[in-house]
Amino acid sequence: MTAAEALSGYRVLDFSWVWSGPMVAAILGDLGAEVIKVEHGKRLDNSRLRGRPTLKTGTAEGPSIELNPYFHQTNHGKRSITLNLKNRRAVELIYRLTEKSDIVIENLTVGALARQGLGYSDLAAINSALVYLSMSAVGQTGPLRDMRAYAPIMSSFTGLEGMVGYPGEAPIGMLNFGYGDPNAGAHALVALTAALWSREQSGQGQHIDMAQIEAILSVIPEPLIDQIWNGRAATTKGNRRKDQVPHGIFPALGQDQWVAISIRDDADWSKLVALMGQPAWAKAPDLSKLTGRQHAEGVIEQQLGIWTAMRDRDDLVQQMQAADIPAAPVLSIEEQMSHPHFAERELLRQVDHPHFGPERLYATPWRMSETPPQVRQSAPILGADNQYVFCEVLGLGEAEVSSLIADGVIA
Amino acid sequence: MSESPKLKGPLAGLTILELGEEISAPYCGKLLGAMGARVLKVEPWGGDSSRQRGPFPDDRANPDLSGLFVYLNAGKESVAINLEHAEATVLVQAFALAADAIVTNWPTAKLCRLGVDYATLAKRRPDAVVVQLSLFGASGPLADVAAEDLQAQAMSGVSWAIGAAEREPLSMPFQQGDFQAGAHGASALLTALLARKRAGKGQLVDIASADILSFAAGTNAMIYIYYGLLRWGRAGPRALGSGGPYPYVILPCKDGSVCLIGRARKEWDQLVEAMGRPAWSADPRYQDLQAMGRDYPEEVDRLITPWLMQHTRAELLALAGVHNFPVGPLRSMAEVVNTEQFQVRQFFVETPMADGQQRAMPSLPFRFSRETIEAAAAPPRLGEHTDRILAAFLQQSAFEISDMRRKGVVR
Repeated sequence: MTAAEALSGYRVLDFSWVWSGPMVAAILGDLGAEVIKVEHGKRLDNSRLRGRPTLKTGTAEGPSIELNPYFHQTNHGKRSITLNLKNRRAVELIYRLTEKSDIVIENLTVGALARQGLGYSDLAAINSALVYLSMSAVGQTGPLRDMRAYAPIMSSFTGLEGMVGYPGEAPIGMLNFGYGDPNAGAHALVALTAALWSREQSGQGQHIDMAQIEAILSVIPEPLIDQIWNGRAATTKGNRRKDQVPHGIFPALGQDQWVAISIRDDADWSKLVALMGQPAWAKAPDLSKLTGRQHAEGVIEQQLGIWTAMRDRDDLVQQMQAADIPAAPVLSIEEQMSHPHFAERELLRQVDHPHFGPERLYATPWRMSETPPQVRQSAPILGADNQYVFCEVLGLGEAEVSSLIADGVIA
Repeated sequence: MSESPKLKGPLAGLTILELGEEISAPYCGKLLGAMGARVLKVEPWGGDSSRQRGPFPDDRANPDLSGLFVYLNAGKESVAINLEHAEATVLVQAFALAADAIVTNWPTAKLCRLGVDYATLAKRRPDAVVVQLSLFGASGPLADVAAEDLQAQAMSGVSWAIGAAEREPLSMPFQQGDFQAGAHGASALLTALLARKRAGKGQLVDIASADILSFAAGTNAMIYIYYGLLRWGRAGPRALGSGGPYPYVILPCKDGSVCLIGRARKEWDQLVEAMGRPAWSADPRYQDLQAMGRDYPEEVDRLITPWLMQHTRAELLALAGVHNFPVGPLRSMAEVVNTEQFQVRQFFVETPMADGQQRAMPSLPFRFSRETIEAAAAPPRLGEHTDRILAAFLQQSAFEISDMRRKGVVR
């Protein structure tokens, strides 16, 4: 614990799985909190179960449940304990830990923890200062409260997935990404830090009922409002924006090379026309105004694409940026991970995993001048901190711990 | 959830100064304001650009009725300052020194010119908290480069994986990078306040959309880049190589499209069961879900699509309920806004507006058990609260205020 950690001294019990909840807990860890991931050897977070990764150097050695880089990313910096929560004695251990904890995070189906005696009211009775974050798909109430969903199913439900596609064509969505998860994590963290602030004033904790689907609706107000107010349905529109024309991604020289270009206003357009060498098609007077460009959007995109396709991606970006026109290369994930800009931002940090070896993980993407987020270590080995938590934090004796293991409570 | 009467929002008592416009800083201010903080918004002389964006009721442009502006700014207090005026600097600095924290998406150069950059403020107030939101960072090689949300999505690896393989990459619609900066900015601001409460020191928090999107895309990409033959890239309506087992795809049905996801063997078996176990499903070629997902997913699509085309989205959802396989209809905005779940949770709230009407829009995606979220108040007219804020917050006399107005410092 150092003075340079924003949230040191907070202890977090993390019951969450997969991405959205674990992401929130990992961020709290980067900020200095002690995060204890509550696991069960026979019922693992499924991101431990994606099999053995393939490395450039061959197949990684060691237990496959410890080797998943995705699991490492979403659970880095945490401690791990293993408890069979179906056993009453395990639940009682959580009660004792609750006395010494500040935050609970869960993204399980509604009521799953309450059925084990670990719902908010159970734990608040033990520690009224506890902040308990529930982040289910649609929230703790309502007719769909039992809905379980993969992220793309959530974003399909909210209409977002259906708005992704080439202009006027059928939607193709963005199934690689699973945007619903990191978006839910970002919004859950807002509520959680607000509840912590409130607790600092009052000494009282509370239950946060966070709905992942509502968090998607929160970031697409324009099409929702256009529907509610004007009855107008949103359609696929590619990369286009109605207030900036052209606004899109254009080919550059070579295989799968692309440049993202935004013309914010009429001044940007005249800079672009100058950069292109004043071609006749672009000098048409009606194109100098936004309304004219809106009418000729397709033609402009086609002509601009012909011009960009003959140019090197990075040269083009450099020239455009020098002319104060918004432009950037479309980077692959490998390019992003090795790009000097993101290196300067210290986005990825090197850690050493006991089985996997050296690896690079994304730190919490905030630059804080006094309390910078740190990636303390990779993800924990399953149950690695049973000794620390049960003996040091709870003060159990070695014999007691041995009996809890023998009886399948710690499991 | 608690039945006791609720208190005002968790951030009641905090005063936040918002120096910004469009989406990122206003979204941050909106989240904080909806949780009880007082948000003072310094609007540019001509008004926040989102006042021009719409959607407008009945498509009639009106800077007080723009949907995006109302959503992001309802409940804030607006003070309009002519930032080009020589006397504006003192005024903005006075606000900056009096507020509990500042959120801004102004460029660093503009903050420096007005003397409200972190380095300058910290000399006068060591506990200043300044949250700077931008696309590529408050400092560094790309800090001053012209950019829009599209460029942040391009460089983060997000766009690389949205769209068809042979066509241009797409981006997430409606400026998601700006919304993410706003959400992360809100929790980072509260984290900095929690740290200040302990150590007494303020700090600069530098949040970049490109960092957040890279963190999100990079996290999910770890599943792809470490598991053999998968890659992070574009494959139209599916994750490339299905991201693992078949299916992970958007396919057409009788009345639209559905998102079909199966990550477990059982889910595939249940889908085949729902289809009535067609003869092909027994063929050895359709037993290895990994091979189907990776090597010939389109072939399997062609076997399933005729069956999907015989059913509406509602019928498929009903079948999914009986047979327990994951399917998500792509829903229109009309369907989304009429969802019973959102009505029961009162997610869409009536907001009073400048023309005396109330209109519905999204609220917050979380609820607190002990504290209430205020129903959104009306959005401010440009400079509506200038007099009140100058008098009450900066203790300016009526004479001083009218003098500033006469000189054109404030509106």
